[in-house]
Amino acid sequence: MNRDTALPHPSGPYPPTEAMLAEPVPEALRTAQAERLRNAWETPKGWRYVTAVNNTEVGKWYCMTALVFMLLAGVMALIIRLQLAVPENDLVSADRFNQLFTMHGSAMMFLFAVPMFEAISILLLPAMLGARDMPFPRLSAYGYWCFLIGGIFVIGSILFDVAPRAGWFMYPPLATRDEGPSSDIWLLGLSFIEVASIAAAVELIVGTLKCRPPGMRINIMPLYAWYVLVVGGMILFAFPPLIAGDFLFELERSFDWPFFDPTRGGDPMLWQHLFWIFGHPEVYIIFLPSIAIAAMIIPTVARRPIFGYSWIVLSAVGTGFLSFGLWVHHMFTTGLPSISLGFFSAASEAVVIPTGIQIFAFLATLMAGRVKKSLPMLWIAGALAIFTMGGLTGVMLALAPFDFQAHDTYFIVAHLHYTLFGGMVFPVIAGVYYFFPFIQKKLLSDRLGRWAFWLVFIGFNLTFLPMHLTGLWGMPRRVYTYPTGLGWDELNLISTLGAFVIAAGFLIFVWDLIRPKHRQPQIPRNPWDGGTLEWTHDVPEEAWGVRSIPHVTSRYPLWDQPKMLERIDAGRYYLPDAEEGRRETLVTSVIDAEPIQVQRVTGPAWITHLAAGFTGGAFIFPTFHWYPPAIICAVLAIYCIIWWLWTDTARPPGADTKDAGLGLRLPTYASGPASVGWWAVWITMLGDATAFASLIFGFFFYWTASPGFPPEGAAHAVPLLVALAAGLLAASWALTLAARHLNRRGGVIAARACLGFAPLAAAGGAAAMIFSVLPLDPASHVYPAILWALAIWTAVHAGVGVIMQLYCLAGSLFGKLTPRYDADIWNVSLYWHFHVLAALVACATMGLTPEVL
Amino acid sequence: MFPTIVLTALLVWGLSLLPDPRRTGDGLVIRVIGEQWWWRVEYWPEGASEPVVSANEIRLPVGQRTEFRLTSDRVIHSFWIPGLGGKMDMFPGRETMISLHPETAGSHRGQCAEFCGASHAWMAFAAITMEPGDFDAWLEAEAGDAQRPADDRATRGSQVFMEQGCGACHAIRGTEAVGQVGPDLTHVGSRATLGAGRMGLTLDNITRWIAHTEDLKPEVRMPAYDLPEDDLADLAQYLEGLK
Amino acid sequence: MTAEHQPRRDEDQAEFSEEQASLLKITLGPLIWAGHFVICYGLVAVTCAKDWDIATIRAGLLGFSGAALLAIAWVGWTSWRQWNPRETGDFVNRRGRSEDRHHFLGHAAFLLSIIAVIGVIFVSLPLVMLDSCR
Repeated sequence: MNRDTALPHPSGPYPPTEAMLAEPVPEALRTAQAERLRNAWETPKGWRYVTAVNNTEVGKWYCMTALVFMLLAGVMALIIRLQLAVPENDLVSADRFNQLFTMHGSAMMFLFAVPMFEAISILLLPAMLGARDMPFPRLSAYGYWCFLIGGIFVIGSILFDVAPRAGWFMYPPLATRDEGPSSDIWLLGLSFIEVASIAAAVELIVGTLKCRPPGMRINIMPLYAWYVLVVGGMILFAFPPLIAGDFLFELERSFDWPFFDPTRGGDPMLWQHLFWIFGHPEVYIIFLPSIAIAAMIIPTVARRPIFGYSWIVLSAVGTGFLSFGLWVHHMFTTGLPSISLGFFSAASEAVVIPTGIQIFAFLATLMAGRVKKSLPMLWIAGALAIFTMGGLTGVMLALAPFDFQAHDTYFIVAHLHYTLFGGMVFPVIAGVYYFFPFIQKKLLSDRLGRWAFWLVFIGFNLTFLPMHLTGLWGMPRRVYTYPTGLGWDELNLISTLGAFVIAAGFLIFVWDLIRPKHRQPQIPRNPWDGGTLEWTHDVPEEAWGVRSIPHVTSRYPLWDQPKMLERIDAGRYYLPDAEEGRRETLVTSVIDAEPIQVQRVTGPAWITHLAAGFTGGAFIFPTFHWYPPAIICAVLAIYCIIWWLWTDTARPPGADTKDAGLGLRLPTYASGPASVGWWAVWITMLGDATAFASLIFGFFFYWTASPGFPPEGAAHAVPLLVALAAGLLAASWALTLAARHLNRRGGVIAARACLGFAPLAAAGGAAAMIFSVLPLDPASHVYPAILWALAIWTAVHAGVGVIMQLYCLAGSLFGKLTPRYDADIWNVSLYWHFHVLAALVACATMGLTPEVL
Repeated sequence: MFPTIVLTALLVWGLSLLPDPRRTGDGLVIRVIGEQWWWRVEYWPEGASEPVVSANEIRLPVGQRTEFRLTSDRVIHSFWIPGLGGKMDMFPGRETMISLHPETAGSHRGQCAEFCGASHAWMAFAAITMEPGDFDAWLEAEAGDAQRPADDRATRGSQVFMEQGCGACHAIRGTEAVGQVGPDLTHVGSRATLGAGRMGLTLDNITRWIAHTEDLKPEVRMPAYDLPEDDLADLAQYLEGLK
Repeated sequence: MTAEHQPRRDEDQAEFSEEQASLLKITLGPLIWAGHFVICYGLVAVTCAKDWDIATIRAGLLGFSGAALLAIAWVGWTSWRQWNPRETGDFVNRRGRSEDRHHFLGHAAFLLSIIAVIGVIFVSLPLVMLDSCR
């Protein structure tokens, strides 16, 4: 590495000594610092409030939106229950009923459960980590606006009687053959939201890895952060298969490419695999973060550190892995070979072990501590009771022979609601009661909270306990009505009554949440005597997140570091000031959280709304086959995103280093693995690679499932063009890499030349890819269709790669990218590493299979 | 530790039972094809070269293992007789298999367990288990052509059947009706239910069904027939007589 | 560490990379489980679909399961030594020093390899008990 272009290293004393920390901050300096910090982080007022990007604002909107979607889906559930109250009821038509249950499931899963995790994490995680904000505030805002637009689009369809109606797992051929836009609304609307989910996951992972306070080594970070890490990782590997599935599904819907049509070599089972590779981890993606809330509440109410921290980490990581080995237990009755079923049955039993361990760790903590009875604890107790019940039926269902009987009946409905209420709804409500003082600086009503709890708890059991029996007595799920005389009538009536008791409980809860609280006194700063950093929050509220970023040496710093709070407030710790009036946060190393950089974070903006709106257009217009406006929207969305990146990310800083407090000087710019942007690209590309792997899995799935793949005498991709594409894309990758090296060595002109030729090579590669499949008719058989899909995937990624290369070229020409400040080209070459690998695999699959298979 | 041992024991037990529902049968094979929303049924006794065709009702002998070969025409269904055993999905373009071994003679309700569209709720059938001797006698009768109309009203009913074009969709063996779109009606009068388990088979229900298909079974492909009352009654009489 | 300690000085690099390795080691046990699972499932699926000889495949996969168990046992053993509770007497590692973090990573990797062993044994059971594709 050339000395001139090397960025400075951190310098100064670290870790801080007790003497340094004990030195008081002069009062005048203190006030001036606080004032500057307050100005830098001020939340926009009036109508500009919606431009806020601060995690506390975005997090609140996110939570409220997810809550509203949940209530709407709950109302749908009530209509479903009313329809099923008596046999042969005609309250709603069969078609309407099918829309209702499809939307109830889809909304609860995609518009409530997953976004709620992201919402809560965006809201709380920075505070738990003593960070000012998430590393990419505008990305959270963009994700939120995407979620809002997509959510309204999907859930609104029910008002126009065009809601999806093939069940929330959209099995083809029922869903592919469905007429009208309903299936497309599901596919495109939810794909759009999945993109937002992945964006949030990237942000949360980077936030946990790189934005912890100094000294918070990986063995003392709050358990919530561990769960976020695991769940973020799971989202990266679980959502992409569904996105790949959606991609194939939508190609079939829009252009009649027969991926799931058995008459032309397709296979509906491929969708089931892709869906459940997503769908089962999804259950744990919902469950783990809620358990994480329990892991934060339990030590506080037990007034002692959590028992078995390592064991809980083990169970989170272990569950995360094992949950990917369960997907076929949703497909036990599809006639797969017994040995295959056996593997999944075994893994489904194995996952009980880590799941059980964390429950035992919680119980042990509660037994060893001096439990203080409180409302959050009541909800946690309810959660443990209900979840344990759901877990037990889960053990039963994991046994394939039992599942043959219970599959697709009300037994499943009961089981899944027990796991989701116990594993998600109850802990989240406990979290609302526990964290509400942190969010709004007011307490919720104890009396209303108890009423809500008992109504929901009793109502829940009244609704779902009888359903076990209804299912065992043979009632299948998803029936819009049923004949009398089968013993189901009374059980269904009880369930319906119970549903309204739950609804009453929720009404009370929501009222408590939204009722005006002006007259209520503000809370003391740490109302529950918690031990973690979020309880250092300021009362009354300050938008800066934390006055100064503390040095942490314990899992429960507020319990173990008695002077910490006072020193935070005094601005004794890191980043107590905002001298340039800019928003900044501290970046630390992954394992030991040693401070390595002061990262500038973005502030309020409209660009996120524009970008989200146009991205929405690009997804929503194709639903109605309006392709030209969709393409225009896509172009505008890309334009907005480029503008946003260009103006506000990785700009060369004014000064190379700055004083971070306590004598520590930190660099203000980082590129490559030291920078948060590079980590974000890495993580995003991991998800992208998973989606691509799912397509390749599809290709080989067809080969396994059918002897006629590829069909005899079928036309193949033109081998010469495939080879040319591989060569050109590899050349483009090499040029990008060369540009990075040359630029770093100061060879700016040579680097620009490389960046000029690289897009040409990439574009040529993409064209060769498309031309190689051009003679094939994708609607005729699944083989040409999947070749086309691979070609399109590769070409589109090459296109994105071209934009990135041109972005770097422009950066070099206009002084944004210099030999010293080269974060952009590091990120772009990382993208190309992934892309070239995927492109070569695609070319090998397309070019070599005619010879090999 | 203790829970792990319990789990292991459960798993071993579960695995040992796993292959049961797909053991080879004792001879009789019943092919069932799921349609939206009814069941096409073919009985293939051992060595048969062509099947005995029926619909929407399944009879099987007790004391032996009967093999079901399952497929579907358009969408995924699932074949399930809760009283006799587990379920097995039915896919278009793929054949799955399950075998059942009933012990006692009796009657059960079978139904589709995989959501398959608007009238999924009404895709059911009657499953009747019989002593082997009774079963053989029944199968022989089922293989035969339809009974001739027993009286004038039934004869007129049969004429209505032909005039209204019912034969374009339904087959009644031994007549000109050879349609393959809807259920075979050769022995419809002998079945326990009508409309694929929609309701019991009575004269009243037959007339109700023909006149109100859409109300009884949303989006069903058979249109509702607005026939003169007499025609409808005679038609019902005819169909009810097809024992 | 002393007060004059510079963050990420060169002599730290070696230790740092070692710790990066032990962060990966946490996932090594479960990763072996995952690899074992995918190979078992994939190979059996192809064997059954293409009518290859299931008996041979079963025997091969059982051998492979043995190898996977040995590999996890090795991970477990090294992480037990990294945790080293016998000598340190510290089973909890809740303090914020670098040796606590070091032992903690060993502890977590050790526990995860136990889970992975159970997982591999469970997943091998069908190979032992079921003998056909039916």
